[in-house]
Amino acid sequence: MIREQAVNHGHVGALKPQQSRCFTVVSEGRTFGLPVESIQTVFEMVALTPVPLAPCEILGLVNLRGKIVTAISLRRRLRDDPTRSETSNLAIGMEHRGESFALVVDEVGDVITLDAGTQIPVPSHLGVEGIKISAVHRLESLILPLLDLDWVFTFSRET
Amino acid sequence: MDDLIIDFVTETSEHLEAASSQLVQFETEPSNIAIVTSIFRLLHTIKGTCGFLGLTRLEKLAHSAEAVVSILREGSLATPDLVSLILAAVDRIRMILVELDRHAAEPPGDDRDLIEAFENHLAMLEGRASVAAAPDAIVAPHPAEAAEGKSPGPSQQGHQPETIRVEVGTLERMMVLVSELVLTRNQLLEISRRQEDEAVKAPMQRLSALTSDLQDSVMRARMQPLSRLFSRLPRLIRELAVETHKKLSLVVEGGETELDRQLIEVIRDPLTHMLRNSADHGIETPDVRAAAGKPEAGTIHIAASHEAGYITITVSDDGRGLSLEKIKAKALARGLVAPADLDRMTDEAIYRFIFLPDFSTATQITNISGRGIGLDVVRENIETIGGSISVAAKPGKGTSFGLKIPLTLAIAPALIVEVGPHRFALPQQSVIEAIGFGEGSHHRVERVQGSLVLRLRNQVIPLVDAREILRLGDAPAVPQESQLAVIMRVGTQCCGIIVDNVTDVQEIVVKPLGASLSHLFCFSGHTILGDGSVVLILDPAGIAKALGLVQVLELGVQNNIEPFVPPREKTRLILFRAGSDALKVVPLSLISRIEAITDEATEVSDGMLVMQHRGFLMPLISISREDATKKERPVLVMGIGGQSVGLIVDEIIDIVEDFLDIEIASAKDGTIGTAYIQDTVVEIIDISHYVKIARPDALARGVIKRFAILLVDDRLFFRDMLSPILTAAGYRVTTASSGAETLSMLKRGAVFHMIVTDTDMPGMDGYTLAREIKRDPKYAALPILALAAHAAPIISEAAATSGMCGVVGKFDRTALLEMINANLGVEDLGSHDLEKRIIQEFAA
Repeated sequence: MIREQAVNHGHVGALKPQQSRCFTVVSEGRTFGLPVESIQTVFEMVALTPVPLAPCEILGLVNLRGKIVTAISLRRRLRDDPTRSETSNLAIGMEHRGESFALVVDEVGDVITLDAGTQIPVPSHLGVEGIKISAVHRLESLILPLLDLDWVFTFSRET
Repeated sequence: MDDLIIDFVTETSEHLEAASSQLVQFETEPSNIAIVTSIFRLLHTIKGTCGFLGLTRLEKLAHSAEAVVSILREGSLATPDLVSLILAAVDRIRMILVELDRHAAEPPGDDRDLIEAFENHLAMLEGRASVAAAPDAIVAPHPAEAAEGKSPGPSQQGHQPETIRVEVGTLERMMVLVSELVLTRNQLLEISRRQEDEAVKAPMQRLSALTSDLQDSVMRARMQPLSRLFSRLPRLIRELAVETHKKLSLVVEGGETELDRQLIEVIRDPLTHMLRNSADHGIETPDVRAAAGKPEAGTIHIAASHEAGYITITVSDDGRGLSLEKIKAKALARGLVAPADLDRMTDEAIYRFIFLPDFSTATQITNISGRGIGLDVVRENIETIGGSISVAAKPGKGTSFGLKIPLTLAIAPALIVEVGPHRFALPQQSVIEAIGFGEGSHHRVERVQGSLVLRLRNQVIPLVDAREILRLGDAPAVPQESQLAVIMRVGTQCCGIIVDNVTDVQEIVVKPLGASLSHLFCFSGHTILGDGSVVLILDPAGIAKALGLVQVLELGVQNNIEPFVPPREKTRLILFRAGSDALKVVPLSLISRIEAITDEATEVSDGMLVMQHRGFLMPLISISREDATKKERPVLVMGIGGQSVGLIVDEIIDIVEDFLDIEIASAKDGTIGTAYIQDTVVEIIDISHYVKIARPDALARGVIKRFAILLVDDRLFFRDMLSPILTAAGYRVTTASSGAETLSMLKRGAVFHMIVTDTDMPGMDGYTLAREIKRDPKYAALPILALAAHAAPIISEAAATSGMCGVVGKFDRTALLEMINANLGVEDLGSHDLEKRIIQEFAA
């Protein structure tokens, strides 16, 4: 039912101090980094149970090997636009503050080893869209923002 | 040693151990507010618990340390001196704990050195003193003392009960595995049902039964009665009364309510905080109370009950209530709300401000409920486990806090309902009935001021359309003919929800919603069905709340003795049509379920119509006269002696409750007679006639009787386990949770044909209860049966000398039923006897 792919937590050798690893994901053509420790699995969602009255970023609930996880559309979270339909069914199984989530993204990329030396101050205009970034790294091919997971998994509560 | 102290030492040591890494971090990062807060909470908890255990040395030390850390929490920077002082205090607490563990008492001596140093620091931080503390005044615990304390000899361990400590994580893992096993078992059952392979069938059923037993055992291993938590409270109240100079009394109800062990741990602290809060802020001093015309002693009332997949605990007091004005003023002063918004807010919404961090309206800081810590932490803890907290108050009358805590692992039957493409589970526990709106239905639905109401018999029941409340698209103005209203009981009220269909009844494992969804009050949790799909569980209480049915705050406990009323006087009857003659009735108590079948679902085997029913074959008898091509027909399922028989009828008309007087006895097979029910002539069906055709052996067991049995057990678990078995065997069951309750029932005139009692109960054991009952010559002939964990000879002897008629094991249901049968008179009931019994019951 669920096709899964193990996350390679980077068996590229031991990390040096000042280094960290992140997992890259693509949503709407933009690449973001997620801390590799928070990622458990990557899978394809098959059956999704919508949750009435839930915030629009919450696509629904998924049965991931007998565990119920909450599926979040990264696309809607980035744009906060409920009219955009989510077309991807590629999800990343994550745990955040004791809750299990499936973060739905367009594509998954590689695990990248980051060096403290490549970190640059968060450009001020990055916060304009309301997206919260925890750090930005300047790599050879791209500028990689790391998503602030607290922000990703905090939703507006409507009662 | 005192159990409470053992628990306290174990828990506090665990807390300290957990905090040790943070303490190390505190040394390097004294300004990290998260660490400071965590240390503050640790000290606060230790102080609070010591207070009611009477451990004054620890309490004083923790209190003075807490006072200083409290200031750090507000942003003052800790000097290295202060950091080492706090760490020294934590070490001292550790040392005292070790001593406490060994000698069950605090070691002699005091901590004047540390306390004085703290006082100096406190004064300095508050800027009231210019004299710096002398750091050299800190004396580390005597090395010899500490070394000695760390090696308690095994001989000093004291008497330990035969238990082992198992990590909750291990139990949790077992539960997850068992849940998966259950799902896999269900899938296998589906497959084996389709394939009809005889070789697989027997082991499959064995596997199925074992899985259920395993599930049961694992669940039970995690459940504990709340009394474990409640038993500590009287002591706390006594201590609080002394500290506050108030008169306090405590009323506790529902201690037998069982809750997952892990959840009990989570609510321990919140409950303690709430009690402290009530004692400190809620209850007034005796003179103020007297002036207000209240009794001098304030009452704190704690009640726990099990409701639709939730445990609710209310903590109410008859004190001064909450001051709306003070809360409003504070909310405005803190800039939490604009004045215009405040005017529009309901009282309840305003009261909810008290759950915000650092929101204390108490003008005085006291040793008891302290500095705004408490309610925000209470709310946080409760919400972590998917629960919720509510507050209600009446000025001058009292405050009531309601905790709603999910039963993480409760397995409960639920109706699976459909609304468009969506499926939801609805806990069966709260469902009363489902009403159709089809043609010929007597039930009228109307819109009154925009809201739907249903006129059902003599009641007017508020209805809500699931589409409307869940915003699943446009709801029709009035329900469609194909739709159903599921009527639920919430507290003392009824309400209904309109759905498209009820498709199934399944046993579900209730799992609480994650924090990101727990605010959706319409849902109480989610679950995975047998087919692997996820469904949300509708919360009847949440739906009732959405309809505006909020429970009225009841304060004050009335303990009036009411005369004992037998459970049923009128008979509940199912009214149905079968053939063109008069409508037929059958007592509802004889019917265990109503299902619908299509002809495709039935088969003819050995000349008898049968259908698959919950994995077994069920014989069917049709008294329907309708054309067999009709799509679906209702089946009345009767459970007799653990076997089921289905009776196919044309249409269920209603469920009525009335006195049943048989006007004309019948000579016809299958009919007992004719009666007048709610101005209609009805035929009373003789169930025994049909049962005899379908299950000739069932009646020979003589299980359909309406004897009244009283089941006494202090554990809700066993009452819940055994009473359905007895009910299914045809007995009328009443339960009692203690010997005292039993005696009081008998005193109030209750009549039972037999009493089945647990032997091992707190307060009054089963043997004493039997002797007490037998002292009255009136009960000389009343059989009393003992329930024991095992039917050992020594127990049989004790039972016999107490005047009991026998002993059975709690898990031996066969022996239990046989023993009851034997003592209530073995009769091979023919249909005539059965008829007589039914008629007698109706006439009674």
